[in-house]
Formats: sequence, structure tokens, C-alpha cells
Amino acid sequence: MERRREALVGLVVMLGVAVGVVGTIWLQGGLRRDMRELRAASQNVGQLVAGAAVRFRGVSVGHVDAVNVAPDGEAVLVHLSVEPDLVLPADAAVLLAPESMFGDWQAEILSRADFELFSFLDYPEEGVLPAAALPDFSRLTATADQIARRLTTISERFEVAFTEETALNLKNAIDNIGAVSDGLSEIITQQAARFEDLSEGVNASAAELGAAARQARLSFERVDSIIANTQVEGMLGDAGATMSNLRELTESMNASLGDLRSAAQRADTTFARLDELLAAAESGDGSLGRLLGDPTLAEGATEAVQELRALLADIQENPRRYLSFSIF
Amino acid sequence: MTNWLLGAFAFVGNRTVSGLQGMGRAWGLFLGATASIRNVDVWLPHLLPQMARVGVASVPIALFIATFTGIVMSLQASYTLTGAIPVYFVGTLVGKTMILELGPVLTALTLAGRVGANISAELGTMRVTEQVDALETLAYDPLAYLVVPRVFAAVFMFPIVVLLAIGIGIASGWFTALQLLDMSSPEFVKGLRLFFEPWDVWFAVIKSVSFGAVVTGVGCYFGLQTERGAEGVGRSATRTVVVASMLILCLDAFWATVLL
Repeated sequence: MERRREALVGLVVMLGVAVGVVGTIWLQGGLRRDMRELRAASQNVGQLVAGAAVRFRGVSVGHVDAVNVAPDGEAVLVHLSVEPDLVLPADAAVLLAPESMFGDWQAEILSRADFELFSFLDYPEEGVLPAAALPDFSRLTATADQIARRLTTISERFEVAFTEETALNLKNAIDNIGAVSDGLSEIITQQAARFEDLSEGVNASAAELGAAARQARLSFERVDSIIANTQVEGMLGDAGATMSNLRELTESMNASLGDLRSAAQRADTTFARLDELLAAAESGDGSLGRLLGDPTLAEGATEAVQELRALLADIQENPRRYLSFSIF
Repeated sequence: MTNWLLGAFAFVGNRTVSGLQGMGRAWGLFLGATASIRNVDVWLPHLLPQMARVGVASVPIALFIATFTGIVMSLQASYTLTGAIPVYFVGTLVGKTMILELGPVLTALTLAGRVGANISAELGTMRVTEQVDALETLAYDPLAYLVVPRVFAAVFMFPIVVLLAIGIGIASGWFTALQLLDMSSPEFVKGLRLFFEPWDVWFAVIKSVSFGAVVTGVGCYFGLQTERGAEGVGRSATRTVVVASMLILCLDAFWATVLL
């Protein structure tokens, strides 16, 4: 009886201890194999705690052993245990992020080149992976709340400033801007056309300049050939004679110009006199004026001319009637 | 009016004095039992039988309660956690509540009724039948003979019973989640492990030890204070259950404040 009681007590105790120990180990994730130790450094770790999952490409490859502040106080060191045969990327980094919306975090090993936007902390110690922590949900909601407050303030100010009159003014301003925009568009179109013309002219000028340059080059080549043919002295002599002839020509032209200048002065005087005569004629003064202004005189003059022509004709036909020639 | 006031003051004074007397007797029992621990030859032979009575015999009722607690927890968790909350949180809720609270406290309350009342009735009967006096007459230390093995047995066995209850409670909740809630084992285990910390188990063990000491200590105290025959025995048993249950809840709040 005593033996049986002892066995029963022993069995219950062993069962209880086994439940406690095995259950704790199992709930922690089972017995660990020989895991590989890694360290990562970050500015902060958010809600990451020891026991959190370590993932690589979405697969759970270990857990977080410990989280503690670095001795210099400038970073937080995260100690990771991962599978020993895990092959890490050459630029491996650790991203600490919420695993779900309920406060559980994870450490994800990834390639740093794929996530350049995150500010990974480069810890000045060999073998420490750079790490970065995403803002947790509470910080995101706090930021969203701050943004919402600012938007509320802006909307309130907008509501105060945006009266009906403001809206009307704004509408008019928009209409004016539209008209100005149309005018600018037209001007730009015109300017574009002018620019096209100008560019065509420039192109033509450039072509002419090109031709002139080619001609100049030919001329220079000829000059070079002339210089090379040693005809310069003769040409210089001819040029000297030509220059003296030109000088004489210039002097005679100066004299002619003086005569021309005096002739012009006389012409001016003559024209001034003629203006006076014409003015007098227009006003009817004098014989010419009366002749021009009075048709009777003109008709009389015409008749007189006709009679004079008839007289001259008669004189030519019958000269003896009007002329008498005698020697003595 | 004067008599009424006098009666009121007398009632308060009587309760105060009796309360202080009770505390003094309890403190005396504690000190005496502590002093009696040195009489190992007296209490050690009785430890195993008491462990069987307090622990092994309590396992079935503790597991029964834990089984249905796990089932109810799983069902109520799935009923509560709807919408955006992932279903694997059923495992989290069942595991956390069973380890931290329901496993230790429900088991302790159950054993307060079963073990505490049993000890109180047994020692009360021994007191009213003058068996305790006979032990003193035979130069036996009644505290080492009656109190120390019971308290030690409870201190050792309560955590064992509580751990078994926690395991059975989680298992029943898991089974319920699989059969009634259309959950998968990986989902439930993920939730179970999500916020688990080994300290939670130590917290349950520490609470269980204190609950065992309180249940058996209160039972021994009221049993040894029993007077006036069979009626007194029944009253002591009732008081034991009530006071032990109250102290269990007070200790639960105390440990939660101190340890978490």
C-alpha cells in the first residue's frame, strides 16, 4: 500500500514537472540546435523583444536571443540565433518591423541593396550587421493624427478665407488668366513664325557667308600665287600711278563739286524766282497770270497765234509782198 | 439611544479584539509551525501520505475543471475575437489566461473547497474529540505532526496539480479550436507561442506555492481552533473555504502587482 502510494505520488509529480518543463520548451519554439550567432545594430528596436522570430525571405530561420543597448549608448545591439547553414547575402542587413498589428515584432534578414530607402545603422565594429527599425503602429497613428490636426487647421483657415466674394474674384481671375493665356499663345505662335523666317534668313546669310568665305579663300589663294610669282613690284608701281591718277581725279572732282555747288545755289535762286512767278501767275497778276486765269485772253492768244501762222505761211509763199530788196 | 450606541461600540470593540486575537493565534501558529520544521522525524513520515491526499487525490477534479475551462475559453475567445483580429489569437488568449490566471486560481479555489475544508474538518474533529490534547499529552508536537506535513505537501503538490491543469486546459482549448472553430493546429500553436514567455510559467508556480500554503494553513488554523463539537467542525470547514478563497484572490492581486 505504501509502495503504491509512493509510486502514485511520484507519477503525478513527474507528470506535473514534465508538463511544466516540456511545455515551456515547446512553447519557446522547441530545443535549439547549434545555432549561429549574429549581431545587428540599430538606432532603436521598436517593440522587438527576446524570442521574436528571425526571418529570411519570409522563412523563419531563428529567433532573437537578446536586445540590449550598446556600451557607447549610441545604438541597440540585437543578438540573433539563426540556422548554422544559412547563407546570408553579401550586403546583409536586418530590418526590424512589426509582424502583425498587435505588437509582435520580427527581425528580417535582407539584402541592403534592395532596401536603400531605409537608414541602416553602420556600427563601427567588425561582424555587426547594419539594422533599421520601422516606425511602429503607435508612431504611425501619432503621425497620422498630427497630419489630421494640421489638415483641420488648414481647412478652417481656408473656410474663413474663402468667402463667396473670394470665390467670385477667383473665378474672374481664372477667366483673366485664360484670356492672358490665349494672348500669350497667339504671341508665341507669331513669334514662332517670325523665328522661322529669321532662321531661314540666317540660314541664307550663312550660306552666302559661306560662299563669300569660299570666294575669299580663292582670292587669298590667288594673292598668294601672285606674291609667289614675284609680280608685286610691278603691281605696286602700277598701284602708285593709279593712286596719283586717283588723287588728280579727286582734285578735279572737288573743283567740279565747287562748280556744282555754285550752280546749285543759282538753281535755288532760279527756282525761288520761278516759285514767285508761279505764285503771281496763280494769283492772276501780270500778263501770264491773266493769260492763265482769263480764258478770253487765252482764246485771243490762240487766235493771234493762228493768225501769226497764217501770216508766216503767206510770207513764205509770197515773200515779195512783204520784203523789198534793192542795192541801191 | 444610549443602549444602542453602547451596543454598537461593544460590537465594534468585540470584533476588533477577536480579530486581533485571531491574527495573534494565526501568527502564533505560523511561528510554531515554522519552529516545528526542525522536528523532521515527526513530520517527514507523514509527508508522502499528505502529498497523496492533497495532490494526487486532487488531480481529477483539477483536471476536470481545467478541461472545461479550456473549452469555454476557446469558444469565448473565438466569439470575442472577430473582424480584423486574426483567429490565431484564440491560442494566445487560451494560453495566456490558462497559464497566468485561470489555471492557478481556479485550481486553488477548487482545492480550497476540497483540501482546505477536508483539513479543517479533520483537525477540528481531532480537536473536539481531544485527540490533539492526547498528542500533547504524549509529548508529540501537534504542529509538527499535523500542520507541517500538510502545509509542505500542499506547497509541493499545488504547483504540480496546477501545471497539469494548465496543460490539460490548453490541450482542451486546442482540441476545441480544431473541432469546433475550424482552426488549424499551426494557427493555434502560432497564437500560443506568440506572446509566451517562460516567466509566465514561473509566475504560475510561485502563485501556486503561495496558494497551497494559504489553503492548508487556513485549514489547519480553523481546524485547530474548532470548538463546540460537530457544529463547530462544520463552521470551521465553512470558514476555511471562505477565508481561503478570499486570501487566494488577494494573493492573486498581490502577485500580479509585484511580479508582473
